[in-house]
Amino acid sequence: MPIHLLLLAPLAMLVGATSGFVGRGQRPAFSSRVAEAVAVVAIVVAVAASIALIRFGPGTSALLGIGDLGFAVRLDALSVVMLLLVSFVGWVVVRYSRTYLDGDRRQGIFTGWLCTTLACVMVFILAGNLVQLVVAWIATSLSLHCLLLFYPDRVAAQRAARKKYVTARISDIALIGGAVLLAVVYRTGDIAAILAAARGGSGGGLTVGAAGLIALAAVLKSAQFPSHGWLTEVMETPTPVSALLHAGVVNAGGFLLIRFADVMLTAPGVLAVLVIVGGFSALFGGMVMLTQPAVKTSLAWSTIAQMGFMIMQCGLALFPLALLHIVAHSLYKAHAFLASGGAVDAVAAIRRPGPVAIPQPAAVARAFLVALGLYVVVGFVFGFQHKSPQAIALGAILIFGVAYILAQGFADSAPGALTRRTAVYAVAASVSYFALQAGAQWTMAGTLPPTPSPGPLEWALIVLAIISFGVVAVAQAMFPLWAYHPAAAGLRVHLSNGLYANAMFDRLLGGWSLDRPSSPVRSKI
Amino acid sequence: MNALVDTREFDRPTTLAAANAAAAIPPAWPLASSVAVNPFLGQASETLAHVAARLRRVAGTSITMPRAWYRDRIATGAIDDADLTAALAAAPDASRPITLAALKAALSTDAPAGSAIPTVADLAAAISGVDWPGLIGDRIGAWAAGYFDEGQALWAAPRDKGAYAAWRAVATHDLTPEIAGLRGFAARVADAPATADAAIEHAARDLGLGVDGLESYFHRLLTTLAGWAQYARYRRWQAELVGDRDDTIVDLLAIALQWELALFGQYRNAIADPWRASVARHNAPVAATADDIVDAIVQEASERAAQRDLAAMLAVPTAAGSGTRPRLQAAFCIDVRSEVFRRRLEGVDADIQTIGFAGFFGLTAAHRRFASDVTELRLPVLLNPGLMTRSGGPADQTADLAARFKARAARAWGRFKLAAVSSFAFVEATGPIYAGKLLHDAFGIGYHAAPDDPPPYPDPMLDQAVRTATAESVLRAMSLTDNFARLVVLAGHGANVVNNPFASGLHCGACGGYSGEVNARLLAALLNDAAVRAGIAERGIDVPTDTIFVAGLHDTTTDAITLYAADTPAPAHVADIAQAKSWFAAAGFLARGERALRLPHASGGGSIAHRSRDWAEVRPEWGLAGCRAFIAAPRSRTAAKPLGGRVFLHDYDWRQDSGFGVLELIMTAPVVVASWISLQYYGSTVVPTLFGAGDKLLHNVTGGIGVVEGNGGVLRAGLPWQSVHDGETYAHEPLRLSVCIEAPTAAMSDILRHHSGVRDLFDNRWMHLFALDDDGRIAWRYTGELDWAAEGERPIAHG
Repeated sequence: MPIHLLLLAPLAMLVGATSGFVGRGQRPAFSSRVAEAVAVVAIVVAVAASIALIRFGPGTSALLGIGDLGFAVRLDALSVVMLLLVSFVGWVVVRYSRTYLDGDRRQGIFTGWLCTTLACVMVFILAGNLVQLVVAWIATSLSLHCLLLFYPDRVAAQRAARKKYVTARISDIALIGGAVLLAVVYRTGDIAAILAAARGGSGGGLTVGAAGLIALAAVLKSAQFPSHGWLTEVMETPTPVSALLHAGVVNAGGFLLIRFADVMLTAPGVLAVLVIVGGFSALFGGMVMLTQPAVKTSLAWSTIAQMGFMIMQCGLALFPLALLHIVAHSLYKAHAFLASGGAVDAVAAIRRPGPVAIPQPAAVARAFLVALGLYVVVGFVFGFQHKSPQAIALGAILIFGVAYILAQGFADSAPGALTRRTAVYAVAASVSYFALQAGAQWTMAGTLPPTPSPGPLEWALIVLAIISFGVVAVAQAMFPLWAYHPAAAGLRVHLSNGLYANAMFDRLLGGWSLDRPSSPVRSKI
Repeated sequence: MNALVDTREFDRPTTLAAANAAAAIPPAWPLASSVAVNPFLGQASETLAHVAARLRRVAGTSITMPRAWYRDRIATGAIDDADLTAALAAAPDASRPITLAALKAALSTDAPAGSAIPTVADLAAAISGVDWPGLIGDRIGAWAAGYFDEGQALWAAPRDKGAYAAWRAVATHDLTPEIAGLRGFAARVADAPATADAAIEHAARDLGLGVDGLESYFHRLLTTLAGWAQYARYRRWQAELVGDRDDTIVDLLAIALQWELALFGQYRNAIADPWRASVARHNAPVAATADDIVDAIVQEASERAAQRDLAAMLAVPTAAGSGTRPRLQAAFCIDVRSEVFRRRLEGVDADIQTIGFAGFFGLTAAHRRFASDVTELRLPVLLNPGLMTRSGGPADQTADLAARFKARAARAWGRFKLAAVSSFAFVEATGPIYAGKLLHDAFGIGYHAAPDDPPPYPDPMLDQAVRTATAESVLRAMSLTDNFARLVVLAGHGANVVNNPFASGLHCGACGGYSGEVNARLLAALLNDAAVRAGIAERGIDVPTDTIFVAGLHDTTTDAITLYAADTPAPAHVADIAQAKSWFAAAGFLARGERALRLPHASGGGSIAHRSRDWAEVRPEWGLAGCRAFIAAPRSRTAAKPLGGRVFLHDYDWRQDSGFGVLELIMTAPVVVASWISLQYYGSTVVPTLFGAGDKLLHNVTGGIGVVEGNGGVLRAGLPWQSVHDGETYAHEPLRLSVCIEAPTAAMSDILRHHSGVRDLFDNRWMHLFALDDDGRIAWRYTGELDWAAEGERPIAHG
């Protein structure tokens, strides 16, 4: 299969986009049907691509461009996995929008921008050349901007889009800088060639600079602290956009780090920063999420946390696991947003079966011990001995999470049946987690570099991560015992406001000002 | 500090004004059990024109459609000169247009856009260029969402103190106002009086408010809080119903005033003059303008136009009932959605009789469903519960426990999913499963079964006298006292939708926003009880021994009927039940076909079931959109007439109603509930910004109790835009309800005389009242002040 044919996926989406833009007016039934049909075509292309990859192996298409710079399609396990993910989520979102926006005056335009954004994301993940990568990265952001301002008159939409716009332009500059440095160092725009060279050990100070800029671009794109404000405020546009954003677009940063894994490995200092920024954002986002009473806002904070965790995985050089995280999180979050109308029923159901059993410290301690035991057993089944210390540490962090569900079952007031059920859940979650991890490692072997042995810096970070996640996990498990103490009241207020990073960003950009100039790129629709 | 003097001076006026302002706010029920509410509840004693003037001051909105809407309807002839003339003649206002020509001239121009009286925040925003009202909405919203949260956040906000104290504890920590440029806000809040009452008094003094304007200004502030104030008002409503009190809404007022005071402190010099003008406007009495009066007249004309159609429909003679024993009797809720199904069911076989009655079937149940500790008030919200009921008795104990363990494990899993560290494990271990869930929901696979708890029963059991009395009064209220069929189906109703925050609003309003099967099953069990039958026989209601009552549930989304036949084993009735099921299936098929014509992107009746399961569907059914009339008369008056699912139908035969006790019940309960529904649709259609829930595409469910549009800010109560508009046209024509009752006018006047609240609704034309004559034709129009006019003739004194 000629690798160029992969472009059929984004091309199909562009056909859908055109049909959307042309099909103006109310209830553009035909263009909505075309949009869903082309989304299915994109899935077919992605499936065909994975078959081709298995049969013929990875490769890069011929270049369309000047010298070594231009447009080329990369076929490898990473691009295929991402294409499968994006085309599937894209189809779900397009299908949803077809019904959801029925009757909206500008449904066709919405479909148009939705398909355009999907096409841009696909071109981005298929990029085999730096130029294509950068162009698609920027185009995705601009196209998304039009979706965020689908209701252009909403003041809050403008405020959020403006923050997003500023953040995105800084990340554009960082990525352009990184790409230029890479092209200068390796004298090519071909990504596979760059990766091979970097893996071979060539490069130097400029490569480290490139890794730093790529990391900056990724951190900004992934809404990491303190640049997260815009992500928690873009519910000002129809729900499918949130689903697409949180399940498709926000992953671009993580994808970038994984795509350039070989380059990133040349800069341990940059990776260390990613561990710290990602780890902090993960814990910060997770804590803030606990305080959020609105369902979509809570999901948005959850995305910040999950992206932080994924960035931390990249920082620990666990690239296949980061990819697994992207895929798993996207599927979960797309569903969570699209199904967020069920929140009324979900909240009403919480109280029906009676009070929650609150675990006492002894129960929490038992839960952590049992969870660690579980980890050891399951870990040996899946082959502990072959795992890197980083992966083992990550597994420990996840096991802290499993301890939480065990603790709920171990509470003194929990009946035996509940203890048994939660124990089954804990075992199932652990086994599933290790199986998926093994699957991710196996799938990406050869495509992504193995995790290097940790040096002193890495060891320090591993210990720091385990301790900080461990402390939060214990605090979480004993939550009701301390969270309502008056001493925690102030902490709750500051956390629920995201430590004011967003308020300061608003102040900086004049977010609450009435006479500020309108958003830099107004959708002309 | 000479606070004592000031306290004495302001104590009563501010407290009274705060209470009055709170009363002006309509309550909003939480979405888990939401019911329609008349948004003009606090203004029922005023006319539309007067309320228009009032709400313009406090909200800047108009409460009638734009003039162009009426002009179009006049141009097409939908509203004719006779309607306009009659509405003009009926207008109570002295300053109304003198002639029809003057009215039409006034209509030819658009009404001037109104604006609310500026608050301190509005004035501060104008002077400073900072969107203070937006910031206040955001900050109060952020706090209130946490304070009222029913369980969305795992780390709930403290709420053991009252709202005002809880807010102060938050506001003294929150740095956001200072970051945005409001200096010293937290310190000011820390120094504020400790109680809401004192804070309101101090604010009124510091802001220089006059006693006459207090209520108007407080109403203005509470209106800026939209759904938050309405939810607080609901809490007060619930408390007052049981003789308690709740001051949350007063606390909200005190909070809004703290913001006003802080901004006044910061911008005092710059806004002194315009603020004095605002205060003066609040001090002036509310008065309808000439434009308000014209709008009210033309609104009434549009209602009279619709009443002409209704009168013509009712004037068509119908055959009286045959008097032979029907093969099936089926009682449905008066809900307008039942009308389509009832007509179709009667059309299937001439021996089927249907009955319209309020869907809670007269049983005010506080119910605990199977495996649940939560008491659900399955009754009209105007009433207090009269009996405690539950599903699942001692025999179901094991199943009850098992269901609870399952639910608790699911809840533990839900916490695992959301907690700070475990959420990462959750995603990595189970994220891929969501590919399957996405496929499942994208295709709408699966079937949403009707509720199927074990039979409900009263706990504690009622004594025999109460049971007999209840059975008798319900049957008499239904005008069902003889000629019972072998099978009598009592059908409650509920909607069948997914992923819809407004699902409860589509359920049975008479059952408190829950589906109606519990009340129907309770009544069926009561009426099948041998001792009860013997008791009511002594009181003259002879239920044949071969009659059984079977509860059912009418799924209003798909027009399927579920029967709870297993509740009362009846081997002799197997064939009757099978026959009824096939009739229901046939009627459902026809009803779906009829309803599909009204639903956007529905391709015939066959597509209805699928759209009920479609998670992206924002218009699974039309609910009560289009409701315009209420008819209390024998079914024979309306049978076979195509009322289009727009009319509440209550069976009533005044000749059997000695003492008019049933009439009184109908006029004070179902009619009032119907007016709430009708006016909710009216408000959400005409003033969606104030009384509508906004755009479903942007809804963000907050605290499990309501929705905000987008990121946050104010809670939005009322109906979403998609529930009254299909994108191209209105699905609901904003008409105040026309109530038609076949009963003597004197009897109705007498009831109105004793129920001033109901009388207000008719006197100020929040509803229209008609009396039907012995042929079921509209004969008399209620003209207010207990007077009636023969329809088409001038008023005469009566009653």
